[in-house]
Amino acid sequence: MSLFKARDWWVSVVGKGEEFDHGCLCVGDVDNSGNGYETEASTSMGYRRNVNKVETDSVRALYKRSLELDCSLKELDCELRRLQIKKIKLEIKQLEKTDLNKVVVGSYMGMLRIFLPHSAKPEELMDSDSQLLEVQLPDPIIQVEMGKFVSCSELLHLAVLHTSKLSVYAVSGTAGNVEHGDQYQLRLIYEHHLQRTACNMTYGPFGGITGHHFICIQSMDGMLMFFEQDSYAFGCCLPGFLLPGPLSYCSRTDSFIIVSSSREVECYRYETLAVTADADIRKDCDKQSKTSGKRLMADWTLVLGEEVLDICVPNTSPTLSSIFVLGERNLFCLKDNGQIRFMKKLEYNPSCFLPYGSVSEDSTNILMGNHNNMLLVYQDVTLKWAAQLSFVPVVIRVANFEELKGLVVTLSSDGHLQCSYMGTDPSFFTAPKVDSRDINYNEVDKEMKVLQKVIHTLPRAETEENISLIAKVSPNLDEVSCAVIPEMNGMPVPSITVKVKVRSSAVAQSPKMTVCVQPPLAVTQDQFVFDSMGSCCELVVQFAVFLNGHYPPADLCVDVAVSYSSATGVPRVSQCKFTLPLRLVCYPSSPCKSAKNKITVDTNKPPINLNEVFPDFSEKSENKDNNAMGFQLINGSKVTVLTSKTSQRYRIQSESFEDIWLIAKELVQRFEQHFSSLGVKDFQNSFTGPVPISEYFETVDHHFELRRNAQKYQDLLSERAIQFRAIQRHLLTRFKDKNPGPLQNLDTLMEGTYHQGSKKTKGGILDLMPKLVQPKSFEHVTVFLKNIIIM
Amino acid sequence: MDPLFLAWSCYRRRKFQRCSEICSKILTENPYDQAAWSLKTRALTEMVYIDEVEVDQEGIADMMLDENSIAQVARPGTSLRVAGTAQAGVPTPAVRPMTQSGRPITGFMRPSTLSGRPETMEQAIRTPRTAQTARPVTSASGRFVRLGTASMLTNPEGPFIHLSRLNLAKYSKRPELSKALDLAALATEHAHFRDWWWKVQLGKCYYRLGLYREAEKQFRSALGQQEFVDTYLYLAKVYQRLDQPITALQVFKQGLDHFPGEVTLLTGIARIHEEMNNIPSATEYYKEVLKQDNTHVEAMACIGSNHFYTDQPEIALRFYRRLLQMGVFNCQLYNNLGLCCFYGQQYDMSLSSFERALSLVSSDEEQADIWYNLGHVGVGIGDLTLAYQCFKLTLAFNNNHSEAYNNFAVLELRRGRIEQAKAFLQTAASLSPHMYEPHFNYATLSDKLGDLQSSYMAAQKSEDAFPEHMDTQQILKNLRQHFSTL
Repeated sequence: MSLFKARDWWVSVVGKGEEFDHGCLCVGDVDNSGNGYETEASTSMGYRRNVNKVETDSVRALYKRSLELDCSLKELDCELRRLQIKKIKLEIKQLEKTDLNKVVVGSYMGMLRIFLPHSAKPEELMDSDSQLLEVQLPDPIIQVEMGKFVSCSELLHLAVLHTSKLSVYAVSGTAGNVEHGDQYQLRLIYEHHLQRTACNMTYGPFGGITGHHFICIQSMDGMLMFFEQDSYAFGCCLPGFLLPGPLSYCSRTDSFIIVSSSREVECYRYETLAVTADADIRKDCDKQSKTSGKRLMADWTLVLGEEVLDICVPNTSPTLSSIFVLGERNLFCLKDNGQIRFMKKLEYNPSCFLPYGSVSEDSTNILMGNHNNMLLVYQDVTLKWAAQLSFVPVVIRVANFEELKGLVVTLSSDGHLQCSYMGTDPSFFTAPKVDSRDINYNEVDKEMKVLQKVIHTLPRAETEENISLIAKVSPNLDEVSCAVIPEMNGMPVPSITVKVKVRSSAVAQSPKMTVCVQPPLAVTQDQFVFDSMGSCCELVVQFAVFLNGHYPPADLCVDVAVSYSSATGVPRVSQCKFTLPLRLVCYPSSPCKSAKNKITVDTNKPPINLNEVFPDFSEKSENKDNNAMGFQLINGSKVTVLTSKTSQRYRIQSESFEDIWLIAKELVQRFEQHFSSLGVKDFQNSFTGPVPISEYFETVDHHFELRRNAQKYQDLLSERAIQFRAIQRHLLTRFKDKNPGPLQNLDTLMEGTYHQGSKKTKGGILDLMPKLVQPKSFEHVTVFLKNIIIM
Repeated sequence: MDPLFLAWSCYRRRKFQRCSEICSKILTENPYDQAAWSLKTRALTEMVYIDEVEVDQEGIADMMLDENSIAQVARPGTSLRVAGTAQAGVPTPAVRPMTQSGRPITGFMRPSTLSGRPETMEQAIRTPRTAQTARPVTSASGRFVRLGTASMLTNPEGPFIHLSRLNLAKYSKRPELSKALDLAALATEHAHFRDWWWKVQLGKCYYRLGLYREAEKQFRSALGQQEFVDTYLYLAKVYQRLDQPITALQVFKQGLDHFPGEVTLLTGIARIHEEMNNIPSATEYYKEVLKQDNTHVEAMACIGSNHFYTDQPEIALRFYRRLLQMGVFNCQLYNNLGLCCFYGQQYDMSLSSFERALSLVSSDEEQADIWYNLGHVGVGIGDLTLAYQCFKLTLAFNNNHSEAYNNFAVLELRRGRIEQAKAFLQTAASLSPHMYEPHFNYATLSDKLGDLQSSYMAAQKSEDAFPEHMDTQQILKNLRQHFSTL
């Protein structure tokens, strides 16, 4: 990510479908045209020889001669100056030998190309003009280097490393006669056939020789081979070798820096290497296969702990001797003795780097390419510039061309060759356009209005549901009860079957049905998962409801809900509610005249026969006394309903106030049904007596107490849970120790806590449950009474 | 061409797939080629490599069964567990949203952004997992805004961590972890305790196993042998896990002595300061980071969000614009740009930024956040219908968006639907109890309705969440007065 992109000065795509890697680019004056070794003849001007010819004919001739002399003097002067300039230029060139750089690129497909980039003029064809040479070599090129590789010459030669061969070429250019330019040639000077697969090479004045460069090749199986110009010097095997790493030569200490397979940087002195190589190998130096038996000792090693991409030993500043190592995640700068001078953690994956110079006394500038297409310039660890490239560079070099110095040459692995410089062109990235339509405001307004309307009407339209639920409670109790507790208070516990019909009118995805009943009622199955339903599907689900606790329920309502998602994925819920018959929780019994708690319900219609209202309870109370009817709650007290013969009153009485609720509710409901079936519309009931407020408050207090108890149990549970975890933690610490100590009965403690926690609270809460329900019934009654009063 | 060389070269260029294919070919021909084996394993590991330093995920079990707690009640400013006392000059939660653990929301999504610890297991289980979105915020008037925080990095090769990948790596490593430990221990012995790298690996194993003290020992010893940036980072991570931020800071500073200007160390310091609620020094360090590396996305995002929350949207805008120019291109950034533009009164840019953000969304949560912010714009320009619809959309995309519930409630209240408003406020409060706004709103609402008891309770909760809030205190004061006169 960068603000700017690198500005292209010259770009070329090298080859098609060819592959390049780290060694495939080198930059230098490969044909030695610029550094003073050029033949001088073409530049020196010929003197005019005829100036000495004496002519005595006339004044005119004299005059002419003087003119000529003058002229020639001037010419000489001119020439002198020109020579001086030439000399100065040469000096400058010698000072900066890399004046006219050429770019040499070799590919894995064996193509060797030499380029002389120049600034593009629009009318010129760039490629043909800037490419000096293109040669197809038979073997893949894995590295190209320039150096003084030929013994009798100080000229730069080109060393080309193939997988099994090292060739040194001379590149020469001859000036062409025609406008089309110069002619370049590649001449093989010498070559070495390698018996091991080469991996990479380095060169330098090994052993401190001057004016020449020797070559060192690392093979894939860990042998360093040294070539002194056209002869093989010696070779030695690296110890503990598995895979090759980068190789570099440090001329200051005359040593080689390599990275071993154990991710260590190792430094070997040239001397050491030379001495270790056996003397007898030197005798027949052609046999590269033989190696020394002695074990190599490294000068120093440094553990890096990561793969290394490249090593570079720059000669940028005489005072600063540093070795730069580019790891996969860090950049290291080492001193000559292998200590870390500084390092920098990289937050990206670097691809290549080049320490290229130093601006201030004790810092080095580094160019770095990474896999996010970036070109970064660091001064030591500080980022100075970041520029976007159009590809991932595998090699970076700095080169000087005709008029421009310090251009960055980058090569990508698929052959993009680019000479660029840092500019303030904004980076390529431009946000893609959002598909913005031309807005016609009138139309949009209209659309908006329509949509608003739709939104306003939506809530009403949405009431139709994709799934409808129809519950059907069977009229009779099950013949064989499904109840878990078969008998309570000497009475068999009945159960009743409920059928729920699920009908879908549209697609419903993954419907799930839940059934919810009030405790202590229970169902045989409270959750159903269906397959997704298409439109107009029907499913019937069946379950039974029964009592499952020793206290009467507060309510006989059942909630059934189906949750599903519609075809568009909108979650939806369909619900249905129904009441269970009273017979599920009570039996008919003989009425009981006296009771502690009574309530009287007034109505505005003449009394009716209770047997008519409660046909399902009439069979047992066949005594002619139609004014009374008894209900025995399965796990509650007996409730009696009495009718007054004279007034329009009904009395409900029971030993326990709470139990009145179910019956009272049922009674009122059945009355309403009864009268509405008779076509009477203005049926009303009311309650005149005082609401038993004091009892009610008592119950509220009691309930509060119970709630507090429940809370206490909950607290106890969480306390025990904390204790349990604390013990666990202690145990964990014990076990973690290298030599585990005795458990000190922690295990027993843990078990005890578990029992305390789970059993006690469980029991306590089970005890509380019925007590918590009772007040609910009580509350229901009171609220019911209140409601009646208001009516 | 030699296949091994080609594979080696591919590995160098990070073409791991091809590299491993070539290696497999070599290995079918010669199964005993050690070099090919080694290269293939390298390629395969590099494919799924994650920087261990950045991975930090603490499970509930780790949090609850942590036997390393040193002091249960730490002194202020020495622990990461309790939210730091707000320093002077720090924006209050009324301005800058807080995360569940009581820290201001940061501008950059990291794996451990929200490493607040719940106090009990129950709380840990009950509270919604807000880790992936540093929960947004709103306020009483529904006028405060959150910045999209999530990951700012777009490039897949950056240090951003894929959670899916991470888990995989973790699980695949787990069974072998003890083996790795054994291996590392043996190797260290073999190296006569002189190889720092193996010590670091040993330390990493200990760290994964939760043996922090042992890990610390190993890292310390490795540092004694060889100064290394990574080791400092690991050591600081151990201290952070041990809840000793001051020591962690010291470690970072030691590291900086050896490696001056190291960006990762500086970032570490800034992050700790940020977590301790010391925003000014965090910003200071982020600025230092930018001096070293002016393309650092995290630093820029954090400074930007800090400026935004200190009421300087124009300056924040400049930071975000720079991020955009650098090629960060995601919905969060556009979201933030839109907000900055809105608050910087550049309304024309604001809506188009949001439009872009909407076109770039990758998940429902992000979409919800953008609609939420658009809702704020609606509130800001007085278009309450727009705001209403935006909040509704927010809830459609993310049903747990408590801020939207809160603001929705405020809007409903304006329309006079008190019951609805009450329900929404309660939902908001239960979804994120760490926000003070729903509590406060509920308190005011109940106060007006005459339900003093609930008002008092809600106000108390609001005070817990934000003790300095004047309005809450006012309400509480009034209520107490009222109660005492009764």
